[in-house]
Amino acid sequence: MRTFTLAAVGPAEIEAARSANPKAFGDPLRRTLVIGSWAVILGYLLYSLWLFEFWKLFASSDNAVRMITRMFVWQDMDTWMYAQIYKGIAETIAMAFLGTLLATILALFIAFAAARNTMPLFLPRQATRRVLDVLRGVDQVIWGLVFVRAVGLGPLAGVLAIFVSDTGTLAKLYSEAIENIDRKQVEGVTSTGADGVRTIRYGILPQILPVFISLSLYSFESSTRSATILGLVGAGGVGMVIIERFRAGLFDQVAFVVLNVLVVIAVIDWVSAKIRKRFIGERGH
Amino acid sequence: MSAHALASSSAGPDAPDAVALFEQHRKALIRQKLGANILFLVLFLAMLAWSIDVSRFFPERLAQGIPRIFEYFGTILPGLEWDKLFLPRGEDGRAVPGSLTFWYSDLDKYLRLIFETILMAITATIIGAAAAFALCFPAARNLAPKGWVGVACRRLLEVFRGVPEILYALVLVFAVGIGPLAGVIAIAIHTAGALGKLFAEVNENASMRPVDGIRSVGGSWFEEVRYGILPQVLPNFASYTLLRFEINVRASSIVGFVGAGGIGAELNHVISFFSDDRVLAVLILVVLTVTCIDLISERVRHAFIGRENLK
Repeated sequence: MRTFTLAAVGPAEIEAARSANPKAFGDPLRRTLVIGSWAVILGYLLYSLWLFEFWKLFASSDNAVRMITRMFVWQDMDTWMYAQIYKGIAETIAMAFLGTLLATILALFIAFAAARNTMPLFLPRQATRRVLDVLRGVDQVIWGLVFVRAVGLGPLAGVLAIFVSDTGTLAKLYSEAIENIDRKQVEGVTSTGADGVRTIRYGILPQILPVFISLSLYSFESSTRSATILGLVGAGGVGMVIIERFRAGLFDQVAFVVLNVLVVIAVIDWVSAKIRKRFIGERGH
Repeated sequence: MSAHALASSSAGPDAPDAVALFEQHRKALIRQKLGANILFLVLFLAMLAWSIDVSRFFPERLAQGIPRIFEYFGTILPGLEWDKLFLPRGEDGRAVPGSLTFWYSDLDKYLRLIFETILMAITATIIGAAAAFALCFPAARNLAPKGWVGVACRRLLEVFRGVPEILYALVLVFAVGIGPLAGVIAIAIHTAGALGKLFAEVNENASMRPVDGIRSVGGSWFEEVRYGILPQVLPNFASYTLLRFEINVRASSIVGFVGAGGIGAELNHVISFFSDDRVLAVLILVVLTVTCIDLISERVRHAFIGRENLK
């Protein structure tokens, strides 16, 4: 056995090691490929930034400077109409709650038509799934805008937007949960001579209910986040407060409202984590 | 307790049988949970009543609104006619009403905007992922060089992802002007926050043994991360980035609502000012784009993860 010392390794040894194990010191082809792809990415980035006129970023206007200072320097805090702000936040939560609840109820029925084991017929199942894809594919804000056009400004449009897009998401997730159930429990209930309704009630429902509750709670959380945005297109909630004050140039109040919304969302996340733990235990889904 | 009772039931003939014991046990459990369940029900109903009141979700308003929804969806359907469906533009350059070319008479503009939307999503994903990459190593609890650096990085990422991208876009449109640049930066900021958190979690789950090895031969913090952590986490980073790209395509199609470029501006325009087939024309294009990007990205992601798993 040979021992190497650092002093004994000269250029000749290194050369010998290189020729003995060529791959260990890097494949030139691979290296070119890596460098090439980085060059492509960098080139694309420069091209697209040039396309998007990135120099505008450095031509900072007085507007931008004034806005940023206003965001951090809060003035006349006693004239901020807090009642309107908190009414907006309450409206957002109410919209998210009602929209998610309605979506949960509708998705419960649709999910059974979209799951492979409860809807064996190919055509109705695929039709249901494609409709759900469309409901999900159109963004919630777009639904908001469409419903504002249809039923007018206000929280009703927001509730409907959350309802429609959450139905798409929840029904898909629910149907996946139904497809993942354990057949043995269902067979056990069937073997006692139970009819279809009882099989669903005692064989399927106890397995999927905790998953459903957990999914609906997640959906409520994410709807509170997105309901903030719905107001920007006029569909009610705190977003309307934000955009009104932004248009009026009251940037300090906008910053305050956004901070409040962040706190409320954090609280909702915390509460819903507690509820989820109570209903389904420590185990996550 | 029940196991003991079951054992005794098989002992004597006068002991209660297993079914009765089971029923009894079940009743006791139900009674035990009854109070909490009633409390939850009351809280739930109170919340429901409150939210119906606050969002003014009243039956008469619904009865008024729902027919208008169907009416609206009726007006945005294109008036296609079978016999004229594939008629080209006439000699005077006008499309025949009822044909596809009439329905999609602004197709060039839509395609240009969709191209811009996709470019915005790609650029924002690259910039955001680069920022997330820079921040995720100091933000990971096992790698943060100093305690306060880690805390500062995590808070920064929280602020980045806490605010929705369309709000950033609103502010940036005011600062840098109407156009795709505001949208790109807005989405990039949100992406940096969301990806930074995911990246940091991947780092925290990485094995620390390579790091220990590199530290033991005198490697610096940078070398520890470069040679100890990076090879472990890179495939996951790539997969998360692609997933985020899919989300960003959706985001970049709506930031236009506040004037930050992409197809959103056109969508807002046609929905707010017209009530005709143009609305559906743009909507179909947006949904198609999002679906196609999702499918392609899913393929790439699976190919990527699959190849990494084979190694």
